[in-house]
Amino acid sequence: MPEKAVVKGLAAAERLYQDYGVRARELKKQGQKILGYLCAFVPLEIVTAAGFMPFRIKGDVNEPITKADTEMETIVCPLVRSCFDMALKGNYDFLEGIVIPHACDSICRTYDVWKYTLNLPYAHFINMPHTTGDSSLDFYRDILNTFRTSLGRFAGKEISDQELARAVELHNRQRAKVRELYELRKASPPLISGEEVARVLIAAISIPVAESIELLGDVIEEVGQRGSTPAPKKARIMVIGAQVDSIAFIKLIEDSGAWVVADDLCPGAREFMSSVDLTADPIEGIAERYLRKVKCGRTYREMKGNYEEDLEDRFGHMRQMIDDFKVDGVVLYIYKYCDPFGFEVPQIKSYIEAKGTPVLYLEDEYSMSTIGRLRTRVQAFLEMLG
Amino acid sequence: MRKQYFAGVDIGSTMTKVVIMDQEVIASVIGATGPEHRKLANRVMEEALAKAGLPFDDITYVVATGYGRINVPFADKQITEISCHAKGVAYFLPEVRTVVDIGGQDSKGIKLKDGRAVDFVMNDKCAAGTGRFLEVTAEGLGVKLEDMGKLSLTAKNAVRIANTCTVFATQEVVSKLAEGAALADVIAGLHEAIAARIYSMVGRLKVEREVALTGGGAKNIGLVRALEAKLGYKVLVPPEPLLTGAIGAALMGRDIVKEAEEKGTTLVRAERRLTEATFFT
Repeated sequence: MPEKAVVKGLAAAERLYQDYGVRARELKKQGQKILGYLCAFVPLEIVTAAGFMPFRIKGDVNEPITKADTEMETIVCPLVRSCFDMALKGNYDFLEGIVIPHACDSICRTYDVWKYTLNLPYAHFINMPHTTGDSSLDFYRDILNTFRTSLGRFAGKEISDQELARAVELHNRQRAKVRELYELRKASPPLISGEEVARVLIAAISIPVAESIELLGDVIEEVGQRGSTPAPKKARIMVIGAQVDSIAFIKLIEDSGAWVVADDLCPGAREFMSSVDLTADPIEGIAERYLRKVKCGRTYREMKGNYEEDLEDRFGHMRQMIDDFKVDGVVLYIYKYCDPFGFEVPQIKSYIEAKGTPVLYLEDEYSMSTIGRLRTRVQAFLEMLG
Repeated sequence: MRKQYFAGVDIGSTMTKVVIMDQEVIASVIGATGPEHRKLANRVMEEALAKAGLPFDDITYVVATGYGRINVPFADKQITEISCHAKGVAYFLPEVRTVVDIGGQDSKGIKLKDGRAVDFVMNDKCAAGTGRFLEVTAEGLGVKLEDMGKLSLTAKNAVRIANTCTVFATQEVVSKLAEGAALADVIAGLHEAIAARIYSMVGRLKVEREVALTGGGAKNIGLVRALEAKLGYKVLVPPEPLLTGAIGAALMGRDIVKEAEEKGTTLVRAERRLTEATFFT
């Protein structure tokens, strides 16, 4: 691609972000088969090992949901409806198939709508368990093997252990690169803004994994050359929420006079901080990672000891990040009708506040129409951190 | 040293408030915001300056607040109404720990510690629990908004209004009247409904005494009583509950100037020129 040679790093991320799916469309023309997926709970290693390019389906906060509402009632969360709306409007017409996990009820219970409305050559539902016990792990291994067989059949091949191991290694390299990128946020001021990180990560989930590793490397190199410039001190903010697939909210916080230096989001720390262990049977490591290492409200972690220990097990990684990235305040950003995150709000808020970090809880509707309301709250929160 | 004056401009959804202070308030203006509020800020400011007998150049610092704060081109700084209300209330009533502000189209609860906001909740999405609720229902009843509070106090048996939605509550009111309920009883019921709504919202903050009520809602005696009944104790109302935000803004400006003087830093100030905001051109 001659164009790729000139547009690199942040500029390339901007292009991929602005025209989401542009690279997938190019590759489709070259014969690449692309599988769309929702949420962080599709085992991408299996998709990659089968020779497909995984493509994360996202919504659009700027686009009013119009077509999806004829198929999905408003009880479905606005993010899922927006994703579906974009698909109905033809934004993802390069997909060969879709893979949908039992992430939350909104995603699970709309699988049939996705399957029969889009009517793509391949559709698969991943029955992901919601608890982390050993019996769940056993069950989940079977589910992963079912997917492996099903996708292999569609690809006209058997997915070998070697192919899986190579895919695990590739995805782990991508995750390591994201962690390297996050290291640049620890400086004061951070070497890369939260808005830039969000843009790069959203771009990264729309291109082949190998290309995303290259993109991340270029960004790290580009940003590293900036060096640190002294800047007036601003509050360091961490954002916690579900899938934030637009830079708008992060930009709002930074425009209000703060740095977003950490997150527990998708795309973001939630899905890139943990890797897959390379086990003799690669499925073992994959199962362990998706079921136990990715900590998300959609997975119920059974009580481990008393209430404090339980909270530590569920949210300890957030506190760790608050310490490591010297976070001054946390914004808990939750979409209306998001049940997995909605359930956890009081515990996350009290857990983080008890450790001495102020929390702003915001409920939003996945629409740019609310940005003015959010701005006043964010600004007031920053004034309090003052 | 030259005498210092500070201005606070609070552009709310319904009312625009301006105060000019030295050590205390020397001039204040309250006007309706209206749809043209981008053009209005300069006119209200002009009026306040005339009342104070000061040229604009004499104003040391201008802070804008309220939802229209970004549309004040002559403001030196914008600060949210949350921080400004907290500051304004703490100035008049330092014993207050919780502020309940009932505005024209929003309502909020603010928790105070050492004169500063430390937590808040806000409703600016639904008319229920805001001044708008009473405005709409008053219209439906053919009663003047300013008479609603007093009328509610004459109620013998407040009618229970079950709908929180403003539109549905208006319909419910009509049917209650048709069933023969007394007007005062219905109005008292409306006040109880709005008080219940606000009470449950600020309840998330863990309300601590003393509680102050500000905004246009604080001027409605029926609403004050209904909230007191919910809380189980008296609430405090500052001398001019509409002005606490603007006064807080002016005081914030005073603090900013004082801090800059102590640190020896130069403050960036907007041009002292009263022009209409050119937001859309």
